[in-house]
Amino acid sequence: MKALRLFVAALLLMNTPLAAQWLTQPTPNIPRTADGKPDLTAPAPRQPNGRPVLAGLWRPAPGIVGDLSRGMKSGDAVPFQPWAEALFKERRANDSRDDPTARCIVGGVPRSDFVGYPFKILERPDMVVILYEAVHSYRQIFTDGRALPKEPNPAWFGYSVGRWEGDVLIVESSGFNDNVWLDNAGRPATDMLKVTERFVRKNFGQMDIEITIDDPKAYTKPWSVTQQLAFQPDTELLEYICNENNKYFEIIPKLTDR
Amino acid sequence: MKRTMSSVRVVLALVCVATAAPSAQWLKQPTAGVPRTADGKADLSAPAPRTSYGKPDLSGLWQPAAILIGDLAANLPPGSVPYQPWAEKLYKERRANESRDDPTANCIVGGVPRSDAVPYPFKVLQEKDLVVILYEAVHSYRQIFADGRSLPTDPNPAWFGYSVGRWDNDTFVVETAGFNDGGWLDNNGKPATDKLRVTERFVRKDFGHMDILITIDDPGAYTKPWNVTLPLILRPDTELLEYICNENNKYFDIIPKTGTK
Repeated sequence: MKALRLFVAALLLMNTPLAAQWLTQPTPNIPRTADGKPDLTAPAPRQPNGRPVLAGLWRPAPGIVGDLSRGMKSGDAVPFQPWAEALFKERRANDSRDDPTARCIVGGVPRSDFVGYPFKILERPDMVVILYEAVHSYRQIFTDGRALPKEPNPAWFGYSVGRWEGDVLIVESSGFNDNVWLDNAGRPATDMLKVTERFVRKNFGQMDIEITIDDPKAYTKPWSVTQQLAFQPDTELLEYICNENNKYFEIIPKLTDR
Repeated sequence: MKRTMSSVRVVLALVCVATAAPSAQWLKQPTAGVPRTADGKADLSAPAPRTSYGKPDLSGLWQPAAILIGDLAANLPPGSVPYQPWAEKLYKERRANESRDDPTANCIVGGVPRSDAVPYPFKVLQEKDLVVILYEAVHSYRQIFADGRSLPTDPNPAWFGYSVGRWDNDTFVVETAGFNDGGWLDNNGKPATDKLRVTERFVRKDFGHMDILITIDDPGAYTKPWNVTLPLILRPDTELLEYICNENNKYFDIIPKTGTK
C-alpha cells in the first residue's frame, strides 16, 4: 500500500518543476540586467491606456500548488459544510481516486491557476485568454462588458467575465458543473460555485491572484486565498497531452483491490 | 454476427457524428464589429477586416465547410493522393477496421492539419507576433509564432508540431514541422510520419469566407507533396462550447466489442 501511495505521488509530481524549462526561446521586449538576465524586479509594463499588462508566461509559485489552504491567511480555516468536509477527508484517504484530472479532464477554475505547470495570458481588446499547459486547455474571459449569463451550459471552467478596477483585473466566474475540484487535494465545489479572481501585477516578475470562493452549498461563507505567480522568461509552453500515456486506469484497479 | 457488427458500425458512426453540426448554435452571443445588412443579419460578403499594421485580420470564429470533414482528399480526383505503398495499405486497414486506432478516439488532439478539418468551430486570435487558434474540438489550442523566428532544428515531437507564420502580401503562410510519428492527417486515417511538413496558406476572401490552402509534404508516407483547399465559414453571433472529450467517452466501451468480431 505504501509503495502504491508513493507511486501515485510520483505520478502526480513527475516532471512538474522542470516542465517548461526544456525550451529555450528568448522572450523579446523584456527588461534585462547588464548581464542579459531578465530583470524580474523591474516595474510592471503598462498598456497605452495606463493599465498594467498581464500578458506573459506565468507559473504558480510552488508553495501553494495542489492545496488552496496554503494560500490562506494564517489562522483562517476552510469553512466547510459538514458533508463537504467529509468528502474532502474521504478524497484524502482514498488517494484522490475520483480526481477528474486523473482522467485527463481539465482542472477548471480556480484549480488550473494552482497547478505545477505554466500558463500563458493573452490580452485582447475585448477578452483575456489563458492558455494552460496543463491538459493543453484554455479559458476565455470576456472583458467586453457583457454580464454573466443567467443560464449558462454547466462547464468545468464555468463562464468568466472580467472588468478593470484601477490597476486590478477582476474576473467573476459562475456556471460550473457539479463536479469541480477546487484543488488537487480535493476540496469540493457545487453548481452554486462563484469564483472571483483579482489579478494584481506587482512588478515585472510577480503577479498575485486573490481568489474568493463563494459556494454556499459546500462552504458556510466565502473564503479567500492568494496565489502568487512568477513570470517565466525565455521559455515556452510545452504540448501536454494527458491521454497519451495515462497510467490512471492501470493503477486504479489495484487501489480498489487493496 | 452480421447484425451485431452493423450495429457496432452504427454506434461508431454516431459517436463520430454526434453533436457535430449544430454544436455551436446553442450559444447566442452577438458578435461585436460584424458588418450587418439592413435586417440585422451578419453581412458575410462584406470586405475582410484589416489590422492597424495593414494585413488582413483573420480573427474570428470559423467553421470548416462540411465537404472535407473526414476526408481531406474529398475534393481531389479519385486516386490522386500520392501514397507510398505502406501508407496506402495502412490507410485501407484503418478504413476496414473502423478507425479503431484513431488517436482522437482516445481524446488525443487532432493535430495539424486535422484540427482544421473537423466539424467543430475554432477561434482565430491574431496578434502581430502570434496567432493563436482555440479549437472547440478536444478543447485544445495551437500557437503560430509570427515574430520572425525560424522553425526549430530539433523540436519536441508534438501532435500539433511547431508552427511559424509570415505574411506573403495578404496571405498568412504557416509552416509546421516537428510532428511525432503517428499523426492522422484526417478522420479517415491518412497516415503521417515525423518527416511531415505542412504549409497552410490562410486567405481571407471576404468577411465571411476564408480558404486554407494546405500542402502535405511527408516523404516518409507520400511520393510527392500534395495540396487541398479547405473552405471556412465565419460563424457570427455564437461562441465556442466547452468540449471535454474525456467526460463521457464511449470509445473504450465500444472497442472491445469490435475487437472480438
